[in-house]
Formats: sequence, C-alpha cells, structure tokens
Amino acid sequence: MEAAGIIDCVKPTRTDFKGYEGKYVATDTRTGQVVIADEDLKVVLEKARQLDHVVVGGRVPYADEPIYVGLG
Amino acid sequence: MAEPKTPWLYPYREDPQQTRLGQPVFRPFVPVSLAIEGASTPELEGLVDTGADAILTSDLLADELGLDLADNEGEELHAVGGRTVIARYKTVSLRLHHHGDPSIRCEWEAPVGFVDGWHSFGLVLLGNVGFLDQFTVTASRFSQAVAVEDRNSLDDRFGVVMA
Repeated sequence: MEAAGIIDCVKPTRTDFKGYEGKYVATDTRTGQVVIADEDLKVVLEKARQLDHVVVGGRVPYADEPIYVGLG
Repeated sequence: MAEPKTPWLYPYREDPQQTRLGQPVFRPFVPVSLAIEGASTPELEGLVDTGADAILTSDLLADELGLDLADNEGEELHAVGGRTVIARYKTVSLRLHHHGDPSIRCEWEAPVGFVDGWHSFGLVLLGNVGFLDQFTVTASRFSQAVAVEDRNSLDDRFGVVMA
C-alpha cells in the first residue's frame, strides 16, 4: 500500500486539474483526463452531450479559495 | 425501475479540492443524469453522501432542463458546509449510468433540491431520500471503489435489521 492509501489492485481515477482553475470541466470516465473546460457551464454541458464516456464534474476551485465541507 | 442485477462498480475519482494535508482527495462519484419531459442533462458527477438526507444539485441545471423553479414542490433551508442554502424541490427522473457502458442505465423518479449558486465540483449530491433508498450502496476507501446494487442486497447479505 502506498502512503496516500492507494492500494495496488484497485486505483482511483486520477485527474490533473492544473491549469483549469476557475473553469468548469468534464472528464473522460475511463482515463480521468480533462476533455472539456470552459468558464461557462452551459458550454461544457453542450459539448459533453456529443461525447461518450464523458462526465461533467463542476468548477475547479483556485488554490486559495476556501473549501467547503459540503456544498460549495 | 431497472435495477442493477449484479453490482455496478465505480472506481473512486479525484476531486480537485485539496483538503487533506496536500494529498489528493478521492471520492465515491457515480455518473448520473437528470431528465424531465424530453429534456435531459449529460452525465454528471454524482457524489454519494450517506450523511445527506436528500438529493441536491445546482440550480444551473434547472435551465438545462427547462424547469421553472418558482413553480416548485417546496423549499427547504439546509445547513451545509458551515452556511445555509435554500433548495427548491422538483420531482425529476434520475438516471444512473453503468461505468463500462453508459448506454446501460437505470432510471427512477425522485425529488431533487435545486440550490442557488452552487457550482462546486460534484454537481449532484446523492443522499438518502431518492438515492440510498433506491439501491444498496457499498463504498470502500480501502478498495477505492463504490458498488451500487439492488436495494434488497443488504437484507440478503445480513438479514433484516430489527430496531
């Protein structure tokens, strides 16, 4: 087992969110890669409709934004 | 409602929030979409939340569904994340999508609370009424995965729990 709690047999889906701060993003469910990013959620939703294996996540916060425990 | 006959498995997914000592945060997200009267959203990250009583989502999605939230089924004030938010409820269809084949899905209706100005990661919060009363959900941080299966599965595994 690794220090972060990632076990060998099952790995969570990782995503590199760097560079997408402040934008809404959609990711590929198979790879975790960001495939759509825009400051307007409507644009992301519209583009996501046209792609398979894509899920709309939400807005990526800036590093200095306060993090809410629940809804943010 | 079409229920998963075998457990549908989803790996934990990374959340862009960095809340635990600089370590990546992994959460039990499952892909869901909302639908009503011919309109639907694309697949959305749904956060399984056993501590939440209801299904909550962003009011930004109401426009996508053509919903008039002024014509709602009730409003509730919720305390979440150290603040209060107002949720306006409407009954819509929810779809849970299979991880490997998104065209395979199960669909049911549930009241959803639309929260003003909610735009954080995980656009749908999947709580007890409307989600956890529809399925047996097993989440394991150790296994880094969440399993969604027939709602009778827990009783089948452990017997009916008497109060």
